[in-house]
Amino acid sequence: MPQPTDFTTTLDVQLVAASQGGDMLAFEELVARHRDKIYARAFSMMRNEEDAIDLSQEAWVKAWQRLKQFQGDSSFATWMTRIVINLCLDQLRRQKRTRAESIEQLDEELGGVERQMPVVAINPTEGMERAELRKRIDKAMVQLSYEHRTVLILHEFEEMEYKQIAKVMNCSIGTVMSRLFYARRRLASLLQSLKKEQQS
Amino acid sequence: MNTELQLQANLDGELDAREVREIEALLARDAQSAALMQELKWTKGAISGNEAEVKLPETREFYWGKIERAIVAEERKAAAAPAERAWWLKFLYPATGLAAVVAVMFVISGGRTTDGADTESVQEDVNAISFRSEAEAMSVVYVADENATYSPVSQEPTNEPEADK
Repeated sequence: MPQPTDFTTTLDVQLVAASQGGDMLAFEELVARHRDKIYARAFSMMRNEEDAIDLSQEAWVKAWQRLKQFQGDSSFATWMTRIVINLCLDQLRRQKRTRAESIEQLDEELGGVERQMPVVAINPTEGMERAELRKRIDKAMVQLSYEHRTVLILHEFEEMEYKQIAKVMNCSIGTVMSRLFYARRRLASLLQSLKKEQQS
Repeated sequence: MNTELQLQANLDGELDAREVREIEALLARDAQSAALMQELKWTKGAISGNEAEVKLPETREFYWGKIERAIVAEERKAAAAPAERAWWLKFLYPATGLAAVVAVMFVISGGRTTDGADTESVQEDVNAISFRSEAEAMSVVYVADENATYSPVSQEPTNEPEADK
């Protein structure tokens, strides 16, 4: 029986080069290294375990097919994350087309709702444990529409600029700014509500 | 861009130096804008670096197995694709060749078709006239002498039945 290749000390760039040459074992090691991150990004966007697993696996298949196009301009993890983000956005757009929009969602898209929200005067996350804060943020993110959640994810977690987000989401920079503003204001309001719930 | 979005763009470092100065002046004189800016800062600070940690709920082998099978299936499909195309190309190649032959013949004939009528061609460079009669199944070539008098130099009966000769 052949011994499994030990890649523990091999760098990502070396594994990518080997994979580009058709080495599937090297590619499997890349999958093992980054699978949690890629799955987590898919899950944060889809909010559904099954969809996140399927789309993350599809992203890996696409990556294998397009490995020759990877020039190393960004890290392999960043390149992979972009692939899974695009797949998730395609899937979310398809889902949106087949689903009737609620009045609230339409109102969000049109904008203006955020201006009616009172400003949160006390920091709703002050003195909170990190684990608790993460839990609350996650809970609040679920309540946002996919467009608002995605803009927040791309800006705050993927550290993308407005114009990069506009390109990925196929919309104007103005729309990105508006969605980000709404998402932040709504998140502040939700975090405040969660704090009040806990205190009462 | 409205004031709220400018406040946010300032927070995200998306404004140029002049716009930043304008926003700072606004924040100094407008308490409502300052309060909104504070809220945006808290929210940004809270989210930043606090993404929920999520782990893939499948083993390495199980997760990879599905990816590997999909890769192999896609590669088989890609390899089979040219063969699938080839079945109709088999018919296309002779048709293309036939079309090329017809096109060459058409160009050579000068775009004329033969309908059994007599044809005469004048070759200006060689002072010769050729005559062909389909009805008589014969060709005659006349060549001009120095006085520009044409006389026949050859006659070629073609495939006439023995009885007609």
